[in-house]
Amino acid sequence: MCNHIPEHILICKTNIAAESDLFAVKTVLDNHHLIEQWNIDQEDVDCVLRIISWHLSYADIILIISRLNYTCEELTT
Amino acid sequence: MRPRDENKIQGIREKAIEMITNEGLENFGINRLAKAAGVSPATIYIYYKDKDDLINQISVEEGLRMCGATLEGFEADMPFEKGLWIQWKNRAKYALNNQVGASFYDQLRNSTYREQMLKAISDEMKKKAGPFVKNAIKNGEINEISMEVFWSVALAPLYSLVKFHQDEHTFSGKKFVFSEKIMKETFNYVIKALKK
Repeated sequence: MCNHIPEHILICKTNIAAESDLFAVKTVLDNHHLIEQWNIDQEDVDCVLRIISWHLSYADIILIISRLNYTCEELTT
Repeated sequence: MRPRDENKIQGIREKAIEMITNEGLENFGINRLAKAAGVSPATIYIYYKDKDDLINQISVEEGLRMCGATLEGFEADMPFEKGLWIQWKNRAKYALNNQVGASFYDQLRNSTYREQMLKAISDEMKKKAGPFVKNAIKNGEINEISMEVFWSVALAPLYSLVKFHQDEHTFSGKKFVFSEKIMKETFNYVIKALKK
């Protein structure tokens, strides 16, 4: 088992709640060359967006999601 | 990289098993788990993608833990009676001492999460338990038998005793306490039924 957790997992609270909302962000996140993997837990009340990226910061993610007219904020550990 | 906090992960894992066992899968969620485990939801999302990923990972780990306990000291080339007795003792010990784990397994076994967990268990058991039965057939100790019939005769009686013990009574309401003596007596009948 790995003894370290990666710093490059970014966890955000969003309002990407519906299937149509997911579809709206999917194209942008799928095609972003600095995003390795992403998923949104729409079953969770915070519609948590989880992104694996070696290069993007929370500010970058918030900007990307805000431009799509959704709210996004860092969920702190 | 920051260090993994193994105690924190273990705490999350144990609390998830406890919640699913006591409250079922329907009410289970990452936010509720975070509150119960005393961590932030973000901490859980560091280790698990979502609720499904968490349940799948934990169920596979728990399944493998059960296999490890069941197969302790057991080898596929053991004489049939000796090998099966070790299985009985291991399985009884696990079922009686890990009631939460066993209940968790039962919850998952009847859910959409069953596939990954059962595959992990089956792959692990196939390594030793499968060849054990085949060897016993090949060596002429038992007759050719399907796995379903084998399980129903060779192992199900043990789980009947465990169930009586956990219910604290038999089907007729008679008080029941599990003991190695009763287990051995039942085991002897099983051996009589299976061995040539």
